[in-house]
Amino acid sequence: MASVSIRRLSKRFGGKTPTTAIDELDLEIEPGEFLVLLGPSGCGKTTTLRCIAGLETAEEGSIAFGDRMVFDADGHTNVPPNKRNIGMVFQSYALWPHMTVRKNISYPLRIRKIKGAQAKTWVEEVAALVDTTPLLDRHPAQLSGGQQQRIALARGLVARPELVLFDEPLSNLDARLRDQVRSEIHELHGRLGFTAVYVTHDQVEALALGDRLAIMNAGRIEQLATPEQVFEEPATEYVAGFIGMANRLVFERHDGSWMLDGEPVEGDLDAIGGSSQTIKARTRPEDVRLAPADEIPPPASLSFPATLVDSEFGGRHLDVVVTVGSTRVQSRIPAGERGSWARTLEPGRRVLAYVNPRDPAFYDDDGVLVSSVGRAVAVGT
Amino acid sequence: MATQAVRVATPRGLRLERVLPRLGLIAFIGVLGYLTLWPLIRLQYLALKNGGQGYTDAFSRPGWWTTVKWTIELGVGSLAIALVLGTALAWAAQSLPPRLGFLRVIPILPIVVPAVASVLGWAFLLSPHPGYLNQLLRLLPWWHGQFEGPGDIYTLPWIIIITGLALASFIYLFVSSGLEQINGELIEAAQVSGSSRTGVFFRVTLPLLRPSLVYGAGIALLLGLGQFTAPLLLGRSQNINVVTTDMYTATQQIPPQYGLAAAIGSPLLVFGIVVLFMSRLLLGDNTRFVTHGGKGGFRTISPGSKLAAFWIVLYGLLSTFLPLLALVFVSLSKFWSGDVAPSKMTLDTWRTVTSASGVMPAVWNSIYLSLAAVAIALPIGFIAASLLHRRRDHRVAGPILDFIVAVPLSIPAVIFGVGFLMVYTNKPLVLYGTRWVLVLVYVTLMIPFSTRMQLGAMAALGNSYNEASRAAGAGPLRTNLQIVVPLLRPAFGGAAALMFVLLTHEFAASLLVRAPTINVMGTILYDYYENGGYPLVACISLIMVGVTTAGVLAALVLGGGSDAFKRL
Repeated sequence: MASVSIRRLSKRFGGKTPTTAIDELDLEIEPGEFLVLLGPSGCGKTTTLRCIAGLETAEEGSIAFGDRMVFDADGHTNVPPNKRNIGMVFQSYALWPHMTVRKNISYPLRIRKIKGAQAKTWVEEVAALVDTTPLLDRHPAQLSGGQQQRIALARGLVARPELVLFDEPLSNLDARLRDQVRSEIHELHGRLGFTAVYVTHDQVEALALGDRLAIMNAGRIEQLATPEQVFEEPATEYVAGFIGMANRLVFERHDGSWMLDGEPVEGDLDAIGGSSQTIKARTRPEDVRLAPADEIPPPASLSFPATLVDSEFGGRHLDVVVTVGSTRVQSRIPAGERGSWARTLEPGRRVLAYVNPRDPAFYDDDGVLVSSVGRAVAVGT
Repeated sequence: MATQAVRVATPRGLRLERVLPRLGLIAFIGVLGYLTLWPLIRLQYLALKNGGQGYTDAFSRPGWWTTVKWTIELGVGSLAIALVLGTALAWAAQSLPPRLGFLRVIPILPIVVPAVASVLGWAFLLSPHPGYLNQLLRLLPWWHGQFEGPGDIYTLPWIIIITGLALASFIYLFVSSGLEQINGELIEAAQVSGSSRTGVFFRVTLPLLRPSLVYGAGIALLLGLGQFTAPLLLGRSQNINVVTTDMYTATQQIPPQYGLAAAIGSPLLVFGIVVLFMSRLLLGDNTRFVTHGGKGGFRTISPGSKLAAFWIVLYGLLSTFLPLLALVFVSLSKFWSGDVAPSKMTLDTWRTVTSASGVMPAVWNSIYLSLAAVAIALPIGFIAASLLHRRRDHRVAGPILDFIVAVPLSIPAVIFGVGFLMVYTNKPLVLYGTRWVLVLVYVTLMIPFSTRMQLGAMAALGNSYNEASRAAGAGPLRTNLQIVVPLLRPAFGGAAALMFVLLTHEFAASLLVRAPTINVMGTILYDYYENGGYPLVACISLIMVGVTTAGVLAALVLGGGSDAFKRL
């Protein structure tokens, strides 16, 4: 299996509004690792993948597969994509419409001069792996999106490349198929053990598939860590926002007591904020709870009064929007039984909002993640 | 996994692999430059020789400024007619009832019918005394009893009108392909917001069409200014000269005044290059104007209008069917008298046309030379289109190639004709008097069409099929042969057929570079026209139409179909 090491890679796009797509990126991918490049559109993740494939040429830096240099701006090395021995799965599937499925899958084998019985066996093996054996003699246009993407997967894997690149392979599929094909990719990786680089903007896909995630922003990697770490300890506010911590709460110290947008905050923020004057918290809607305004909040929680703006019924839960001063806060609370307190909420009602200080991610003025209470406790015990 | 079995060798430090493609690229651009730019440079050299003698002569002749004025009137007048008619036709074609959708082909017909044929057809219709249409009109009370008129085709206004009628086809193509790219929801949004159909057309559709209109108008203006056939056949006998016919006259003097001809053509050359640069600046990045998205395709909600069908049919009658009908009548007459009595009809001319001196060789020449030129222009266009498609990889070569490839479209064919005559009567390549010089002119004139159509098809195909093949391990050559070429086959068929059609029409450049012994259909037609054998001329015109029709049918069969014409 190949490792991939990317050093100080930079790529700019010219034109009327020049943009830096990749900005001095460093990345080491272990052999057999499943690495996910995650970020919104325009963050440089696809460009990075295409540079690894050799479909784009960077201006600076180097890329090596194992000890083999495939791109080096200084050494004027640029191995063309066809000599890099990779497999690639495209967002648009890119199955050649004039070839049958069998021809599509066996194309990489024909190029590598693997013929006859061996080629046939490999094609049928990989077709069986992605569960498409009955489709081998059809043309791509006759297949559904999910089937087409499985064939594309088979074509990417058939030559048993050391490195497989995935360019948002699931984003053209509908939600149900997406889950299905995703778990197939996960299984295949577990079974075959290739090194994978996978580009997506979907955090659920990223968390499910990646051994490690690289969250990208403006051509740089903001955080490179395991899914658990990214989920629980997002290194920056940008990462937190991207993986679902939609609420941004800015706590400020006024005359010794903590306020949130003009409303008083109950709870021990000093333990987190220390002596600083402001502290920012990022939380998920599920972690913001609501209670009647006159109720006493649970011990050790951070609570603040809020005004209800809207409530949407979601089956087992309610999606509620409240405001604290002019800060909008989203909360997802259990819907409870018919006639429960939560279901009687109406716009304009004053409520008490609270969070467990273990749940949010807290950032200081410089945007650096500070030890949360939860982790402080974990370290203490 | 048996990874060792599939390891592919790494080329490291193979300088040759880096140098060869570059050399190839330079050689390719060099050859294209020699074909397209060198004739123009030769001409300027001739015009500037002896201290610009050519220019001094050209601009000091009596009548020169009248010629310029008439040329501008022809260009601007025919453009105005073409813009109004072409846009109206495109709009009408979109409003056709679904049942009558096939009528959309009609406005393209003037491109398909050879210009020489339809100009002659008009001559037979509107000649002052014997013109068929004039005779009909004289039956009406207003003109009853007159000996001539009311129309006189041998005047500038009528030359402008029939040129405008023909150019309307081009505007129609540009505008209707522009309409097809407009997202239907944009139109529906305007209608839902309360705009009337006309309101939508003027406030939403036309502004969205700006790029197609600007580009189409630029091309049509160039074509109008460089118009050769109609002024030559209709205007010369009345001393109505435009720049192109003036140039031709200069080359026909004894001895030929090539320096003078070159100087006369220069204003058109300069203007062509200016328009070329302007359109590149205005439309530099075509993707800016793509309005795809949502439910694509332009639709109108209305059930369709019968009136639209009427206007399209009327246009078809005037631009195509009436001139062809006139040709048929004349070809069946003993001599052209304007008599249409069935008893006097005869097939004599048709029986003798094949034995008339030089006719059949000219027909075969047209077919063979056109096929040869297509066979050469197609691969050249493929390479040029591939390079332009990956323009980002060729920062320097891309714009140069883009310019060279567009030049033959912006420079009138007459200028190319004179330029080719100059280049190929001199060393190093003396080809004058052989068929090769015609083939080379034809290839040069077709480079823009071949490249543009294939580039359009490549853009529509996108990059992913290509990239998937490269990522799967195939090199550029294999990717082209096994993936790109098979997927582009319909485009090749369409492009080949279109080029064949345009080349069998070719008249202006052929007339200049032909040797007395080598004729094509257009030139032999002109010779007989000059000598006044009208029924025979009509016969040859109709044979030309027949050959062209075969080419069009081939286009429909080979794929691309009428779309082939929209990729211009």
